[in-house]
Amino acid sequence: MDVTRRRFLKIAGLGIASLPLTRLGLNLGGAEAYAAGFKLEGTKEVISICPFCSVGCHIIVHVRNGRMVSTEGDPDYPVSEGALCSKGAAMLSMHKEDHRLTKPLYRAPYSDHWEEKSWEWMLDRIGRRIKDTRDRGFIRRNDKGQEVNRVDSIFQLGTSQMDNEECALSHQFLRGLGVVHIDHQARI
Amino acid sequence: MPMTFLIDTSRCTACRGCQVACKEWNDLQANKTRQRGTHQNPPDLNPFNYKLVRFAEYKENGKVVWYFFPDQCRHCVSPPCKEAADSYVEGAIIKDPKTGAVIFTERTRLLKPEQVEEVISYCPYNIPRLDTGTGILAKCTMCNDRVKRNMLPMCVKTCPTGTMNFGERSKMVALAKKRLAELKKDYPNAQLQDPDDVNTIFLLTEDPKKYFQKVG
Repeated sequence: MDVTRRRFLKIAGLGIASLPLTRLGLNLGGAEAYAAGFKLEGTKEVISICPFCSVGCHIIVHVRNGRMVSTEGDPDYPVSEGALCSKGAAMLSMHKEDHRLTKPLYRAPYSDHWEEKSWEWMLDRIGRRIKDTRDRGFIRRNDKGQEVNRVDSIFQLGTSQMDNEECALSHQFLRGLGVVHIDHQARI
Repeated sequence: MPMTFLIDTSRCTACRGCQVACKEWNDLQANKTRQRGTHQNPPDLNPFNYKLVRFAEYKENGKVVWYFFPDQCRHCVSPPCKEAADSYVEGAIIKDPKTGAVIFTERTRLLKPEQVEEVISYCPYNIPRLDTGTGILAKCTMCNDRVKRNMLPMCVKTCPTGTMNFGERSKMVALAKKRLAELKKDYPNAQLQDPDDVNTIFLLTEDPKKYFQKVG
């Protein structure tokens, strides 16, 4: 069998990953054994950023064979100094959990259930609704007859995680429609 | 030198980062939960929650007062649970001589049901929980695997407020005394919970009884 070094490491990593840690404890006995079979053994550290709030805490992701093994706060990040709140601390589950939504779900007006839809269908639908709402609510002139070209019936709730360029793009899009109510979630 | 937690509840905002980080590190499965009219969730420690932030809510002088208590194993200096288990199954409960961590091993499975009851009843803090699926007794491990590699326990590592502290016992006792003296100025009832007997020292601002409410 042709086993390259890289493949060997992969096999070894798999072996460690598939061996229940507590089993090691039973075989060796005692407190020393309990600490054996460390779950971060052979993992690579990758820095990521928590996607939730505007603090943007750095997170160390421990990766083995391209899979996330564990996550924890990055002590080198000066704002959080390694700490994470409950949302950031749940990064591993957020990635791995099968409760996580992987496809767009649609609930029709007055319907009591969700149905799976394709992104294409969903984006077309959202686009259609935005356009219709905008056209319906577009205010050309105010009471004084001044030209305002404004839409009062749409509110955009953005995200504090957007960078300058994304903000500019989003802003231009919304202003283009005439939307004036623009905010993001960090102020709530 | 054993290691010790200092849990400074005066700093706790009940974000529950510790509770979640503990579950993540220990690969503990999710609990099915429901709205019980309190943020304390799940309602109690269980085999899949070694750490639980307890919420107690009162109305005092027309104002809402909240007490938060990030509950966990105290890793007693002389653990009564170990005493109880040792007489039945050797190695079911062990104490790491280096870190002071009290650890429930897989051998707790060999304890008979009445012996499990006895071990649980010996704990003055009502911490051990039986995993009825595997028959193993479960509770906080002090992240002994991390501590042995000079890493902080996950709950301490993640705490954003300085509530969870961890280090050599002498340092934590000194810090506890310092913080207690500071807090006494604003909270005359401030106290350390059994500091001589445990390696998880809680610093409370009020009577310990106030921190526990039955959750419906």
